[in-house]
Amino acid sequence: MKKILGVIAIIAIFTLAITHVSVSAEYPTKPITLISPMAPGGMHDVIGRSFASVAEKTFGKPVVVTNIAGAAGLIGGFKIVSADPDGYTLGVDSTTVTNSVTWEIANGRKPPFTLNDLDLIGSLTLGPPLVLVPFNSPWQTLADLIRDCKAKPGFYAFSSAGHMGGTHIAGAILVNGAGLKVRHVPYEGGGPAITALVGGHVHFMCQYVPGAFNLLRGKKLRALAVQGGARVKSLPDVPTVRELGIDAEWEQWYGMSAAKNIPAPIMAKLRDIMKKVSEDEAFIKVMQNQGDDVVYMDPIQLAKHRETEAGKAMKLFKQFLAEKK
Amino acid sequence: MDVINNLYIGFQTALTFQNLYLCFIGCLWGTMVGILPGIGPVAGITLLIPATFGLSATSALIMLAGIYYGAMYGGSTTSILMNVPGESASVVTCIDGYQMTLKGRGGAALFISAWGSWVGGTVSVIGLMLLTPVLADLAVKLGPAEMFAILLLCFILLASLGSGSFFDTIPVILIGLLVCLVGIDSQSGVQRFTHGITDLYDGIGFLPVGMGALGIAEVLRSTEESLVRTVSKVRLRELLPTRQELRSSLGPIIRGSGLGFVIGLLPGSAHILSSFLSYALEKKIARNPEEFGTGRIEGVAGPETANNAASGSALIPLLALGIPTGNAPAVMMIALLIHGVRPGPLLISESPEIFWGLVASMYIGNLVLIILNLPLVGLFVKLLRIPFRILFPIIILVCLVGTYSIKGSTFELGVLLFFGLLGYVLRKLKYDVPPLILALIVGRTMELSFRQSLMRSGGSFSIFWESPVAMGLILVSFFLISWNIYRALRPQKASWEKALEEG
Repeated sequence: MKKILGVIAIIAIFTLAITHVSVSAEYPTKPITLISPMAPGGMHDVIGRSFASVAEKTFGKPVVVTNIAGAAGLIGGFKIVSADPDGYTLGVDSTTVTNSVTWEIANGRKPPFTLNDLDLIGSLTLGPPLVLVPFNSPWQTLADLIRDCKAKPGFYAFSSAGHMGGTHIAGAILVNGAGLKVRHVPYEGGGPAITALVGGHVHFMCQYVPGAFNLLRGKKLRALAVQGGARVKSLPDVPTVRELGIDAEWEQWYGMSAAKNIPAPIMAKLRDIMKKVSEDEAFIKVMQNQGDDVVYMDPIQLAKHRETEAGKAMKLFKQFLAEKK
Repeated sequence: MDVINNLYIGFQTALTFQNLYLCFIGCLWGTMVGILPGIGPVAGITLLIPATFGLSATSALIMLAGIYYGAMYGGSTTSILMNVPGESASVVTCIDGYQMTLKGRGGAALFISAWGSWVGGTVSVIGLMLLTPVLADLAVKLGPAEMFAILLLCFILLASLGSGSFFDTIPVILIGLLVCLVGIDSQSGVQRFTHGITDLYDGIGFLPVGMGALGIAEVLRSTEESLVRTVSKVRLRELLPTRQELRSSLGPIIRGSGLGFVIGLLPGSAHILSSFLSYALEKKIARNPEEFGTGRIEGVAGPETANNAASGSALIPLLALGIPTGNAPAVMMIALLIHGVRPGPLLISESPEIFWGLVASMYIGNLVLIILNLPLVGLFVKLLRIPFRILFPIIILVCLVGTYSIKGSTFELGVLLFFGLLGYVLRKLKYDVPPLILALIVGRTMELSFRQSLMRSGGSFSIFWESPVAMGLILVSFFLISWNIYRALRPQKASWEKALEEG
């Protein structure tokens, strides 16, 4: 009896950890909540938790990562924009969140929040997708893939981590750029999608470097091309799509955002900490271990980047919706 | 001899004072996480990740894995005592476990469930140790077509899960299927039955449904009966299983270990599938299947063994390929990444101390868990002496807190109460509730794998008979369904005829 009550008290403490305290000059005076708008286990989580472990030292207060998953980031994103603007609630922001908002608009629905409701703090990584095939695939180069896909239109298939998600967009951009006609098999999450590729159930996939890096090292997959402006440092032998003469570039960023109207001195401190984390050796090592480059963009650069990518995504979504009709 | 050498190194790692202590903490926390409805292993692990920052990667993994398999031990407790599934893998344990409690055999059910968990856990560590490289390649070979065939078989077995006839179970399954249609369709991005409510975008979670339709409904139903319970003093002898109970649970435990280990390799919610497949298997091969649902020890022993066996093999794809196939292994992978380890095909050769340290710690952890759990049986059974007027509010509170702790969503509290009422109505109409929850779990993945198969094949059904595994399983399913229909339609013998035959 006492035991059960004690146990209930413990969960109550865990679930009610977020309380309201007035803004003070000595920010931060209490733990900071970092919302990861995706289920545990994805890149949002890696970025959020690595950021938290480094930022804690600078803040001098714990940074508690909370997963508020749902609706492809819309539920967690809404929690970020509707939090008190006191600097004690931050959120992991990314291309994925941008895409989810854009997808709602493209469908003529009103998203729970707009991109302007998110006050950008800065980016931490920016990385391109790779065109991947199973290691035993006969395709050695991107040209092989394009030749075979053109020879048998509608026969080959690629997997993605979800309909109109980051890996579907990357795949669609490659397919558009090379003028291919292939099948698309969406999975629920990057793990199942890449498992399907390793198991040979689909022929290729466009996945970002961290989701594939260790499988490339372990010779379970082969990368045919980088869909970015430049080669990836950790994979110097893989050519870019531009070098191969195909227009199929796309990059995905991860960073932090918060609600609008945070007092200027607190926001300045947050931006400063972002920059420090992006220069921290431990953080860089975690990112390098999964083959990702740490790229810090300040809020102005990031806002510009986000505008361009939202435009690209909107064009793609509209094309997709038109094809369906 | 390689294995013995490596295992020796593993035990050297696992038996340091710090790692033993962490293994114990992980197992203890895991047991608690399992007992508390709502908080599952995923939340349990994520809460403790920050606590591992100062530790080495091996120590961190030892502790986090302890939470994971420890949760499978604790999950049965509230299922057996309160009819509230403590963990998603323990939904089926409610069926016979709770009936055993009503008959005063709750202690024995808890005892057998801890014992079975230990056997299942140990078998899966042995499998993990010997077969990891082979099985990892096998696991990725299972494509959407095979997955669909396995789930179809599960689905047909679902229909035989209820205590009533095949046709009595079908309507309940259909309700479960309707519920699982709600949400964004992952294959086309279309919203189904969401009515613009953001909380419904991801569908209706099965934990609030399960806690409502089983736990809350049970409280509602029990209030119809007298609230005065005769408080009997539980003697130690009544806590222990009888010789008969031990003997009947031996078979289910052995079968559950094997079945759970194999099913654990499947992607997705393998531990949930494993427990309910084991239940279905035990019911199918039992001499008196109609006794299931009235408190048969086999219905507790099999599933509780299987979910522990599955928790070990579910780690295989993570350790051998760096591909997590479930949510809990995915969180463990994040922890490894943050500790600077690279989970991938090279993990075992690059960092053998991590793999072998983990294997050795799992042997120790399983021992710790059984030592931890057996004395708890006595403590938990004492809970049953609490008068109903106090116990019922506690059950409702546990359900509410448990549901709120999943996502912190008040919307889900509404879901919980709605399904509590629905479960109550179904019970009054003499329908079984567990098939509804399992249909909700299986239905989603089954639809997904079916449509993935067809998208892969460009709409051609040939993908199902090109794979011998898929074809075989589909044939078995069709055989089972026709047999079930035949059995349900066949004229029943009158009771005097039966009596005559037996006499």
